[in-house]
Amino acid sequence: MRLIVDAVITGVLSGGIYVLMALGLTLIFGVMDIINVGQGALVILGAYLSYLLQQHLHIDLFVGLILTMPVMFALGVGLEAAFIRPIRWERTTLSILVTFAIALLIQGALSLTFSTNLVQMHAWYVSHSLKIGSFYLAWVYIFDFLLSVVLVAALYVVLNHTKFGAGLRASMQNRTAAQLIGIDVERVSAITFGIGVALAAAGGMAYGATSAFNPNSQYDLISRLLVIIILGGMGSLRGAVVAGFGMLIVEDVTSVVWSPVWASTVFYMLLVVVLVLRPQGLFGRLESRRQ
Amino acid sequence: MKALRPLGLLALLALAVLFPLLFPNPAVDTVAVLTVLFATAVTAWNTFSGYSGYISIGHAAFFGIGSYAVAILCQDWHVPGGYLPFLLLPLAGLIAVAFAIPMGWIALRTRKHTFVILTIAMFFIMQLMAFNLRSVTNGSRGMSLPIPVSWSGAFYDLPFYYVGLALLLVAVALSWWIRNSKYGLGLLAIRDDEDRARGLGVRTGAFKLTAFVLAAFFFGMVGGLHAYFVESIFPAFAFDPLIDLMVALMAFLGGLGTISGPLLGAVILVPAQQFFTIWFNKPGFYLMIYGAMFLAIILLLPQGIVPALRGRFTKAETLAGPVRSGDDGDVAAAVAWAGDVGDGERGGGA
Amino acid sequence: MHRRIVAFVAAAVLLVGAGLAAAQGPIKIGISLSLSGDFSADGQGFQNGYELWADQVNASGGLLGRQVKLDIVNDNSSPDQVQTNYQKLITVDKVPLVLGPFSTLLTKPASVVANRYGYAMVEGAGGAPSVFNRGLKNVFDVALPVINDLDSFTQYILSLPPGQRPSTVAYATNDDPFTQPQIERSRKLFEAAGLKTVSYQTYPSETTDFNPIADKIIQSKADIVVAGTFMPDIVAFVQRFRQQHYNPQALIATAGPDLGSQFTKAVGGAQVAEGILVPNTWYPGADNPGNAAFVKAYLAKFGGAAADINGDAAEGYAAGQVLQQAVEKVGSLDNAKIIAELHSGDTFQSILGPVTFNSVGENTAAKAYLFQWQQGQYLPVYPLAAAVAPFEYPKPAWH
Repeated sequence: MRLIVDAVITGVLSGGIYVLMALGLTLIFGVMDIINVGQGALVILGAYLSYLLQQHLHIDLFVGLILTMPVMFALGVGLEAAFIRPIRWERTTLSILVTFAIALLIQGALSLTFSTNLVQMHAWYVSHSLKIGSFYLAWVYIFDFLLSVVLVAALYVVLNHTKFGAGLRASMQNRTAAQLIGIDVERVSAITFGIGVALAAAGGMAYGATSAFNPNSQYDLISRLLVIIILGGMGSLRGAVVAGFGMLIVEDVTSVVWSPVWASTVFYMLLVVVLVLRPQGLFGRLESRRQ
Repeated sequence: MKALRPLGLLALLALAVLFPLLFPNPAVDTVAVLTVLFATAVTAWNTFSGYSGYISIGHAAFFGIGSYAVAILCQDWHVPGGYLPFLLLPLAGLIAVAFAIPMGWIALRTRKHTFVILTIAMFFIMQLMAFNLRSVTNGSRGMSLPIPVSWSGAFYDLPFYYVGLALLLVAVALSWWIRNSKYGLGLLAIRDDEDRARGLGVRTGAFKLTAFVLAAFFFGMVGGLHAYFVESIFPAFAFDPLIDLMVALMAFLGGLGTISGPLLGAVILVPAQQFFTIWFNKPGFYLMIYGAMFLAIILLLPQGIVPALRGRFTKAETLAGPVRSGDDGDVAAAVAWAGDVGDGERGGGA
Repeated sequence: MHRRIVAFVAAAVLLVGAGLAAAQGPIKIGISLSLSGDFSADGQGFQNGYELWADQVNASGGLLGRQVKLDIVNDNSSPDQVQTNYQKLITVDKVPLVLGPFSTLLTKPASVVANRYGYAMVEGAGGAPSVFNRGLKNVFDVALPVINDLDSFTQYILSLPPGQRPSTVAYATNDDPFTQPQIERSRKLFEAAGLKTVSYQTYPSETTDFNPIADKIIQSKADIVVAGTFMPDIVAFVQRFRQQHYNPQALIATAGPDLGSQFTKAVGGAQVAEGILVPNTWYPGADNPGNAAFVKAYLAKFGGAAADINGDAAEGYAAGQVLQQAVEKVGSLDNAKIIAELHSGDTFQSILGPVTFNSVGENTAAKAYLFQWQQGQYLPVYPLAAAVAPFEYPKPAWH
């Protein structure tokens, strides 16, 4: 019992990290019909940037986000303009290949610069923990979780209470109609991609603070992120949040009550069952005759 | 022009058959074996994904299932190294089919976008099974296949090459036949507009599933042949997500939905990849080159080589370019379904 | 004409380029290594080792009086590529000798290819049982068979007087052919001696979140922890154990703590590593022939501290040494004779210690040392003959 409670707590705290990364992915899909397979590599790039700032300029990991997030935002806008916008047909499929190519480029550049040795980040909050009752909660998880809450809340405000947010939501609902009523969908797309990548930077820092990583870590990440957004419903922000927490809790609990080797299998099975019952995912809209 | 076509095909076939005799170097032939295997896989994949528009990134699962099927059968039936394991390939294909039917049935309930990712998820489930069902698969320790001890280095590649080539020819013939059948037109109609196709009386569910399963059959056989070729398998290599990405890239490079395009893609990309790996041996550099090449292909030749060439050199066939989203897709589907079998390989374009 | 085309294609596809060396030029030794992909860190370690070995051979008169030249190609950690590569090395580059690639996963296909051409494959990184049970006569692993790595640790624990002996053990292992057989074996030995297993976990090698696994170990309150890990998992365990104030009497990991400052940096300082154990077949101070020279050459070429020398480099170097002695004993590059010599039961000298092969190519003379981090130093503590410091047991509480 104690173990299960532990597992749930860990699941919730680390789930927040995955929510951050998955939100970026699902947001991009929702607005652009693009599956950004490069999100995993961008997350790792974000982690390396935070690591660089900490190593060379001694900037705290969390504080460093003030720098890395805007940089990654700009990178995202640039990537969208250079590689995504030119895709004119078979958008979704070609976007998978294009973003995969971007992922390879990033992975290659990171391997060349940093080698493939594992990196582990350090700070006092990584090794110290808070004692609540008989539970020890590592500070880093608490901070990571708070970071996710703050960023998700900020995203919520932007989407629901700004003009840009309104345009973005309109584009999510119907790209063509949004264009017709005068929304600059291309601009919205570029900014959305930027936001998605900036969230990857934050997710990357949070991820890097809790686990060792190297440029190859992108593969593990992207497969999990894709599963989260498909379970939640592609393009659904609420879905990404629920599925992100759900995935980590299910995995962590399975891991302690059954075995770690079955943890992801159970989750994947759950995904298949959900999709048999609801092909659009938990909160997804049924795909209409888009094309 | 038309009259030259059969001759050209014959010459190509002769080249394929004589290749190991013209180029007897085993290292070259090893690359040729891998090329033939990938060409078979991409042709089968294209028959499903290229024709129906449902892009599967999970067919590598059936490659893995075929690999394990041959490994396990060889082990349980004490099959010695030699020609016998080749006889197991159809069985490996059928085992892949047994998995593909339920998996395809579930996955094809979703529409195109979700389908892509769902196939990835199913792929990972299968990979995890290979790791976890230790009593069947021996888990992460992998399995060994029988070694044909009497085959020398100079001879070794030949049986694999010719068995692979036979599979390839069957796959291409089938793909060509489907492309020119009513069944194939049904698949193309699904690609252009699934709801409309259904409205026109195409049994979309059954069409998609049979094509999905057929591709899985070939992936199973290719996987089995590959496993015997490398003589040892491990979960992460038998179930390798990069296989599907490679296959998709080959199809897009050559021309999705055409018959010759994917073949061309395989013939270019498999040797290129091996070449790059050997040539750029600085860590990371190889990945960057590969990624850049990838990007260049997609951005510069978004429709693939074959449709692009066709568009340039034969005026008559420019109309048969890829069916772009929206515009005349519905008409194309309707016309196609009415039985107007077009000559061009792609789209039957309007 | 025909030949020209063949040569041209071979050159274009496989880069023969400089493959037209004269017969009495240097002896080319073909090696495929993972210079990219999952095993690239280890692949580079091996490259360093092989290169140092070649430097040393060339500086001291060469092999059979000829210089040695390494022909290293990248296999991107892929079994398809490793197969192409050895064929290319043997048939296109016409190397007379080969050495092994990195890891069991690639040694298996590589050794089969070499076998087809009758080449001996001396290697230092394909030590899992499945390499040796295929009836191949041409594969020789200079390192300790992986499955025995933890033996020195089990011997030490079982040698403790009853009062000090731990009574419960927790095991957790990465699902990997390198780690898993070792953990399985040590569990058998401990259970036979009456030590109770309170937790046994296997986790997938793609695991990124190790906390639930660590939590289960912590909950089991085991006296000692035996971890079948690489670097990331042992680092995560150490962090979690510290966060949760769990102090086992002994903590041993199959790999990770052997990586010198890379490990201490990752766990957050040498004081955190205090008392952590790891088995290894080599260490910089080992009193084996040529070891001091190897360490010196390594530091001169690559810099760093002796404790940071990658064990992979030592294994690559040792594989080269063994091949060299076999070649010199038979006095020719005839692989059939070399294989017969390696199987003869002769003892070869290497920086890993003596090497004698059994009929399947395992090194029966290899010894497992046990190492412990003590005050920022990585020291052999068992077997006693090699120990330079007393075993610190029980392990002190986390810093």
